[in-house]
Amino acid sequence: MALDPLEQAVIAQSLVAAAQEMGAKLIRSAHSPIVREAEDCSAALMTSDGSVVAQAELIPMQLGSITHTFRYCSERHELDSLEEGDFFITNDAYLGGQHIQDIFLFSPIFFQKQRIGFSATVVHHIDLGGGAPGLNPNATDIHSEGLIFPALKLNRDRDWVRGPWETFVRANVRMPDATLGDIDAQFAANAVGAERLIALANKYGSSKLAAAMSEMLDYSERRIRNALRAAPDGIFKGEDAIDDDGQGSGPIKVKASVTIAGDTMAIDFSGTSDQVNSNMNNPFASTVSAAVAAVKSVLTDPDIPFNDGCSRAISVKAPEGSILNPRYPAPVRARLLPSYRAFDAVMKALSKATPESVIATGTDTTTACCLSWLGPDGYDIYLEIFGGGYGAGPRNDGIDGADSPLSNCANIPVEATDMDHQFFRCIDYSFIKDSAGRGRMRGGLAFRKVYEILEDGVTFATYGDRFKIAADGIFGGHSGSTAQNQVIRGEETIDLPSKCQFSLRKGDRLIVQTAAGGGYGPPQERPNARTHRDIEDGLMAAE
Amino acid sequence: MLTVSFSRAGVEVGGTFTDLVYVENGRIAVAKAPSTPQSPDQGAFNALIKGGVDIAGLGELAHGSTVATNAILERKGARVALIVTKGFRDLLLLQRHQRRRIYDLHYEKPEPVVRRRDTIEVEERLGPNGEIVTALNETDARKSILSVLGEREFDAVAICLLNSFVNPLHEESLVRIIEEMFPGMPTAPSHKVAQEFREYERASTTTLSAYVQPVVSRYLKRFEATLTEQAFDGAFSVMQSNGGRMPAAAMAENAISALFSGPAAGVVGAVRQAARSGHKNFITLDVGGTSTDVCLAPDGQPSLASVTEIGGLPVKTPVIDMATVGAGGGSLVWIDDGGMLRVGPESAGADPGPACYGRGGMAPTITDAHVVRGTMQAEAFLAGDMHLDVEKARRSFESLANQFGKSILEIADAAIQLAESNIARAIQRISTERGRDPRDYSLVAFGGAGPMHAVRVAEEIGLSSVIIPPFAGVLSALGLLVADYARYDALTDRQPLNSAAPEIVRKHFTALNDSIKSHFADHKIQQPDTFSYLLDMRYRGQAFEAPVSISESDLPNLSHEDLENLFRKAHEQLYSFAKPKGEAIEIVAYRAGGSLAPPAFPETSLNFDEAVETEIELFERGKTHKALLVSRAALKEKVIHGPILIDDGFATVFIPVGWSTRLDPSGNILIQKEV
Repeated sequence: MALDPLEQAVIAQSLVAAAQEMGAKLIRSAHSPIVREAEDCSAALMTSDGSVVAQAELIPMQLGSITHTFRYCSERHELDSLEEGDFFITNDAYLGGQHIQDIFLFSPIFFQKQRIGFSATVVHHIDLGGGAPGLNPNATDIHSEGLIFPALKLNRDRDWVRGPWETFVRANVRMPDATLGDIDAQFAANAVGAERLIALANKYGSSKLAAAMSEMLDYSERRIRNALRAAPDGIFKGEDAIDDDGQGSGPIKVKASVTIAGDTMAIDFSGTSDQVNSNMNNPFASTVSAAVAAVKSVLTDPDIPFNDGCSRAISVKAPEGSILNPRYPAPVRARLLPSYRAFDAVMKALSKATPESVIATGTDTTTACCLSWLGPDGYDIYLEIFGGGYGAGPRNDGIDGADSPLSNCANIPVEATDMDHQFFRCIDYSFIKDSAGRGRMRGGLAFRKVYEILEDGVTFATYGDRFKIAADGIFGGHSGSTAQNQVIRGEETIDLPSKCQFSLRKGDRLIVQTAAGGGYGPPQERPNARTHRDIEDGLMAAE
Repeated sequence: MLTVSFSRAGVEVGGTFTDLVYVENGRIAVAKAPSTPQSPDQGAFNALIKGGVDIAGLGELAHGSTVATNAILERKGARVALIVTKGFRDLLLLQRHQRRRIYDLHYEKPEPVVRRRDTIEVEERLGPNGEIVTALNETDARKSILSVLGEREFDAVAICLLNSFVNPLHEESLVRIIEEMFPGMPTAPSHKVAQEFREYERASTTTLSAYVQPVVSRYLKRFEATLTEQAFDGAFSVMQSNGGRMPAAAMAENAISALFSGPAAGVVGAVRQAARSGHKNFITLDVGGTSTDVCLAPDGQPSLASVTEIGGLPVKTPVIDMATVGAGGGSLVWIDDGGMLRVGPESAGADPGPACYGRGGMAPTITDAHVVRGTMQAEAFLAGDMHLDVEKARRSFESLANQFGKSILEIADAAIQLAESNIARAIQRISTERGRDPRDYSLVAFGGAGPMHAVRVAEEIGLSSVIIPPFAGVLSALGLLVADYARYDALTDRQPLNSAAPEIVRKHFTALNDSIKSHFADHKIQQPDTFSYLLDMRYRGQAFEAPVSISESDLPNLSHEDLENLFRKAHEQLYSFAKPKGEAIEIVAYRAGGSLAPPAFPETSLNFDEAVETEIELFERGKTHKALLVSRAALKEKVIHGPILIDDGFATVFIPVGWSTRLDPSGNILIQKEV
């Protein structure tokens, strides 16, 4: 069906607006701090056969992979058997999912008894059971990381609302109010998406709507191909590495080879290290998201609606059994670490193609800082995500103390943690002077958060990186400082590794310090005004 | 006490013009003078002179300006130092650890107004219940303060200590210490500026407040001095971002509340004038050159948001809650590299402006699209003062028409419809998306291009009534005169919702009321006649609160169950779900507002020019229509059916087929969907 340019534009914008509305409602009603502060969630509207048409741009880690996840559901369940109230739910890393904490919920949308699309939401849940509250750094397989919902087809009224599946989940998670509340928020957001799509079907008719959705995929594809065509052809390579697997071996290398040929791009991660025994394995869906996010940031206009049309122009490959495409039952909780190295490797490859659009390597690490305590009223879990310093760009210093490129976590206000948790107190949250990689533009500064522990029996669990391998500078820029974890116990200072679980005592001081970003260009070319201002403000020392 | 004044004037300083509305002997006069950005008061007095205002005889003068906003945006505020709890020196720079644009690799955080070298740490710590964890080390504090304040010149000191919103003790001690060390140095302790939790937002608000305070009070003092010279003896009041006024003397203490007074005044002016036609619920639509602002006003009260931002920096102060979209008369119409038709957000600006202005602009804009369609007529534009080049407008659309394989008329028509669809979505953001049904509302349109798009926008969101108020060009100045005196106050005290909660709610609201009343008394205004109450509530474990409005009459008998029901309803409205009854709920913040309505505004007596009717042709929604171009006077005492263009001097009103219009005794143009 040929569509009028006006109707196409109006429908396209309505679909994007609806996906954004779903995402916004999800975040503001969520319990999980990872959703509400970190916006680690996503929402999308999909065609009736499950291609993402419009997605809320919340967290790059969910970019371009929702359809991949959906396919595993649609392969197991006949789409035409779906009825009103049915939904797919999955969090299985080995059935197209990311990590166990990310629950994907797909709801079919019907108009006049005909399926016209799906609404989809993904939420990172605070706890889904597993071997430890919130975060189990010692997981040896995926089963110790939480309950697995393997691409199930369920019905909301029958199974969820006071139904057997709700009862089952409630009994198997540590903070049921939060987990159940957030699943409810997902259902509600999906319902909002459905309402908006049905309104469009009402206005334009379902066949016109379907045509517009399909044209939206073509439209994004055309735009991404235009962007690729504007970039130079060639094969570009980049690599980076994770310090270690948390169990003594490392570094774990990630290699990318990016081939730009005309209006296509192929990203191949051949040569990447094998999967590891610890939780640092990257399900393939996460590898796709990380690679595509790097490409989108460097090459394309921010206003291209990123949907499955884009994936038609970009292919991603990673060897099976590697850290970027692991085999069952490897644990995957800390998948963001290899995701970031995939991002870095692609960024470094692209720096050879389009040097003016890239940035130096940054902290590019998700540092999960989890403090938990079994108090008189049950489990009390604090979980906060830290970024660090960004890599510098050709004309800007790297961002000081901000979340890394693949996610966008807000910090938790100290006054909020003071109110919510009585077993520790944050006593310092500040930049690390002189940490940034020097350069014509300097990298972003690292920061630290220091906790005073107020009770015995507190557990610190963490994963992080860049304790050994610093963020590289680029084009003559220097690398940033590395990260560290320390516990001050009386006179004693205990150095902790980047991935660990550690029992804290009352009176301990825990210092979690991030890495800093690399510089861009030679330091001697740095404008004097910038150097002076940094010195005056005590952010950098004189040379 | 506020006297019912004999004559009143409202002066609103805008970017280009300073507007005046003057009421004397039941007669309304308006005037415009060019703004004088270097010293905005100059333009204000020019407008007063131009409007023939007898300043000495004036009972009341209400004023709105962009002094506070410009001080921040142009970084021309005071030199401010900030005192924080030890360990948190980087509060203003770390911000919330987030980026606004997630794929922007070259992102830079918004720059705070206090530099890191001017941030002072003091040893102290309060707990979440206000308990003293570490007492303020005064000796050490004096030393640290001296090392910064003794070193460089400052105009003000902001103070933001952790948990000071529960216990102001340490902030008060620091105020005293600074007073002793640097007598006369103005201080801004956070518990006085924004008594709410979340330290970054509070610190940002406090520093911005200290930053604009000296600039605004200097400005108002100069203004008052000039008034005194001219023997002014009336009440001098200033507009706030919340749509209410304050005596100028009060504003000199709380300048941060003036940030967005201009748009607020416009909304208040539009809503109050529209309400005279007997309608209750309004959506305001202000279409300007580059953007469109929309605002919801249920029961005639513009909705407020409790936080806003300026230049990316958060400000915790109540503001009129508006959604803005980058679509206005100057918005460019273009085709993107994927072949999609687009409108805005880029705009042709004032220079070169739309192609039809003939100032060198070649790119098509929404204004050009109207000229092409005939929904803007050359002779009707700004009372024919400005020439519109129809041929240039047509030519600007040629290339787009070719690319889409459509006629120039069709593409111009499509561009306008696309812009209207963008505007309709902005309204849905503040209505449908917040669980409010826009169909219960009337659309009030103003701004240069608002009346042109109002009816089609109304139709798209299902409204059947549109109101175009008179004074379209000076609605903000009018808003100053009809705005209430208002004061808002808030505090944070997290409490579980249980049987003890209603008493705590009443206790806090009584305290907030007392503080509002004494504020009114301090500034010699009659006591407020209306109070509004809002609770920020959430399910335990959530981080964002849902605002729950409590009516004044319900407050005395409010029960635990009432509160639960009100919250569940608000949650359902906002997020489309509520948890089953009995789930743990908590109250986080308490917000109260007191307002006093100004004396009634005189009935409008508009002077009409002659009724003029011209036959024209226009193209809309794919069809050519024969239509009438009429002056407002032609509407007198009769109903006219669309399609019709009304030349309203400042703006053109477009009424399509299927709608009819008449003039209301209050001067409003009422447009109704025909059934």
